[in-house]
Amino acid sequence: MNSKIGVFNPDELGACISCGYCLPACPTYRISGDESSSPRGRIALMRAIDSGVVGIDDPVAMEQSELCLGCRACEPVCPAGVKYGNLIEQWRDAAWKRKPVILTGLMLAVRRAWQIRLGAALSNHAHRSSGEGQDFLMLGCFERIIFPGVSRAAKATHPNLTVDPDQGCCGALHAHNGALATGEAMARQLGRNLPGTIVTTAGGCAAHLASVIGRERVVEYSEYAELNPPPMPLNPIERRGRIARIAIQDSCHLRNGLGVAQGIRPLIRQVGTLVDLETAHECCGAAGSYALLRPSDARLVLDPKLVEIAHRDLDILVVVNPGCHRHLAQQLKQELPNVEVMHLAEVIAEASDA
Amino acid sequence: MADSEEATRDPDTGFPPIDPNTLAQDLARIVGERNIRSRTAEMLPFSRDATPLYSAMPHVVVFPQNKVHVSAIAAYATTHVIPLVPRGAGTNLAAATVPIHGGIVMPMTAFRQIPSVDSAEQIAVVEPGVTTIELGAAAEAVGLMYPPDPGSRHTCTMGGNVATNAGGLRGLKYGVTGDYILGLEVVLPTGEVIRTGSPLKKDVASYDLTQLIVGSEGTLGIVTEITVRLVPKPEHEAIGIAYFSDLESAAATVSDVIAAGVVPSTLEFLDRTCIRVVEEYAHLGLDTDAGALLLFGDDGTIDMSESTTRRIEEMCRLNHARSITRAESVASADDLLAARRCALPALSRRAPVTILEDVGVPRSHLVEMVHRINDIASSHQIECAVFGHAGDGNLHPTLLVDPTEPGAETRVESVIADIFDAAIELGGTITGEHGIGIAKRRHQDRQLGDAQIALLRRVKHAFDPSGILNPGKLGS
Repeated sequence: MNSKIGVFNPDELGACISCGYCLPACPTYRISGDESSSPRGRIALMRAIDSGVVGIDDPVAMEQSELCLGCRACEPVCPAGVKYGNLIEQWRDAAWKRKPVILTGLMLAVRRAWQIRLGAALSNHAHRSSGEGQDFLMLGCFERIIFPGVSRAAKATHPNLTVDPDQGCCGALHAHNGALATGEAMARQLGRNLPGTIVTTAGGCAAHLASVIGRERVVEYSEYAELNPPPMPLNPIERRGRIARIAIQDSCHLRNGLGVAQGIRPLIRQVGTLVDLETAHECCGAAGSYALLRPSDARLVLDPKLVEIAHRDLDILVVVNPGCHRHLAQQLKQELPNVEVMHLAEVIAEASDA
Repeated sequence: MADSEEATRDPDTGFPPIDPNTLAQDLARIVGERNIRSRTAEMLPFSRDATPLYSAMPHVVVFPQNKVHVSAIAAYATTHVIPLVPRGAGTNLAAATVPIHGGIVMPMTAFRQIPSVDSAEQIAVVEPGVTTIELGAAAEAVGLMYPPDPGSRHTCTMGGNVATNAGGLRGLKYGVTGDYILGLEVVLPTGEVIRTGSPLKKDVASYDLTQLIVGSEGTLGIVTEITVRLVPKPEHEAIGIAYFSDLESAAATVSDVIAAGVVPSTLEFLDRTCIRVVEEYAHLGLDTDAGALLLFGDDGTIDMSESTTRRIEEMCRLNHARSITRAESVASADDLLAARRCALPALSRRAPVTILEDVGVPRSHLVEMVHRINDIASSHQIECAVFGHAGDGNLHPTLLVDPTEPGAETRVESVIADIFDAAIELGGTITGEHGIGIAKRRHQDRQLGDAQIALLRRVKHAFDPSGILNPGKLGS
């Protein structure tokens, strides 16, 4: 394939054979029934952009690049092995020259380590501490501000982790939103700041960081807890006078990007009654900054999941990514206030009384 | 038709020129602005399906929301002599949904209801945009099964399955889509709505229009509702795998199984290349050193399915299978079948372009056909992987092609023509389940002969006097 404008990796763009196996996995196709809003349709658009048939700033193309959640649910079902996640990042990198103010603001706010420290000055996240060995806890840029309890819980269940608040941000937000080079540079910098194994409580960050500094250096919290069971015994969590009924919302990038999902389930079985949601593997609509930028589309994506949760008599919905955490906590508070949204680390911490 | 009007028609397509703006405005009056797509970027995905090398842009894409819309769109297209191409999910493998003469592409994805599943009568009524797997799940929820299971069953729609008389992995024991279609609601190209078939056990008041429309590739009418027959869900399924040193031995086993009167629910084979790409995608621990894999098994009562499966194992041994194993659980059996369904797309890992064929032969000639395919491909220096529904005699030789190689195109053409000739010579067909579409139209004559081709055209004309419905395909 001859790339005329050099936006896309030609091999990655050429890999799709248009079989259509991805269509039912795509949340935006399921909602619309319109192939333009499917991975195959978007790849057709990318090819048209690549060959000059459609301009990179074409309004339809721009809308499709934004409507995509970037959840990568199309990747595990693709027998041809198309790396759709890479393609959408390349597309956004070239097309999203003028970003919404809110997105630019978010991205600028976490660009430097000192900015994050300043932002989190009043936040009670895990404090600076040296642990044994070379395992570092990643605090997350927004996670440490919005959900400070998550890093405290991770440190409580795994006191061996080293915490350094000057670590910075991994740049996943940037890479997913049309600033690929910045996102990669930030991941490399974080890798230098934390010179060992990086343990992260954020699925989206884990996938991005692994793609830049190498999978072997990145361990997501559920993987870490599976390999290193907390030193203290786990007791069942109780809610409403019973052993808590707990379901899991997978992180899309963790599941579809890194293939991490199954290990979380036995952990939950140790601390409560695991409720398997049929929609656990489907995007919740948070999709990084998506729920902030396109709230009504995000809600359409979430709706089937809300219906299922409403019918399953849940006490706790476990998340493993701060974007999902924020979106689901906000939506469930309005719609299903009896269901608590907790990060996996918080659940394990509660069960271990840590 | 007046001479002056005739004169304004495009000499290549036979259609009058189309003004896309007027067309989009007129259709918007029927379905509303939001169900129309008329900009290049939003119509691109509808210019092709899953067939490589074929594409053509429509002038407009319209999403009807109910059958009144479909009827009005059809009547409009007939009045103005504009091509109208109905579409499901675009997983077709013969370019049967490519709008070769432009015009209107009409995806039926808004029709996604299953109005009824009657467990007592074992009948379901579905709309054409429902996917095959969704119907399967609805049937399973009441202890029944919808047997046809094409490879793309998660994506493809029932409307498309009817239009192509889709087959699948269960064809040998359970047959194909047409065997389960009891009746159809069809919008004719001229706009009238008819109902074909009957829920009665006996009813001979008409030609069998249901079975005429099944497999007609959207050239006779637009299906808006489908009544299907369901069967009791089998209590047990046994699945086994045998590995052979070459595909001929696997094919010989299949011929033995059929000759012995054994009718298993699964009898599929993959050659070495297919095993390797499927393993690369699915990671099931397949033996990638083997020359061929035979996937076999049966469903029904435990006794019956186990006894059938054991008999096949015995025949594999007699044909010198390298090893024979059983799927230990329902999940692992499902994984194996799912992996088999991925053979085609997984093959794209091996070459820039994969050209899939779909020949069928009497099962007694399976070994001969496998042999000939390999000879033909190697004599033209084209790499060819073979998989297929061996038990149905339905083979999918897949050419792995780098189009930038000098002479590749000509050699591919020769390989395809030779494979078709071989199939016909052995009493077979140029297409078992993918259909004619655009891709095989030029090869159709040699199988059917002039008289039958002329009859197809007269049948097409009887349904579609203006020739607007999916033109350039079957019956044109």
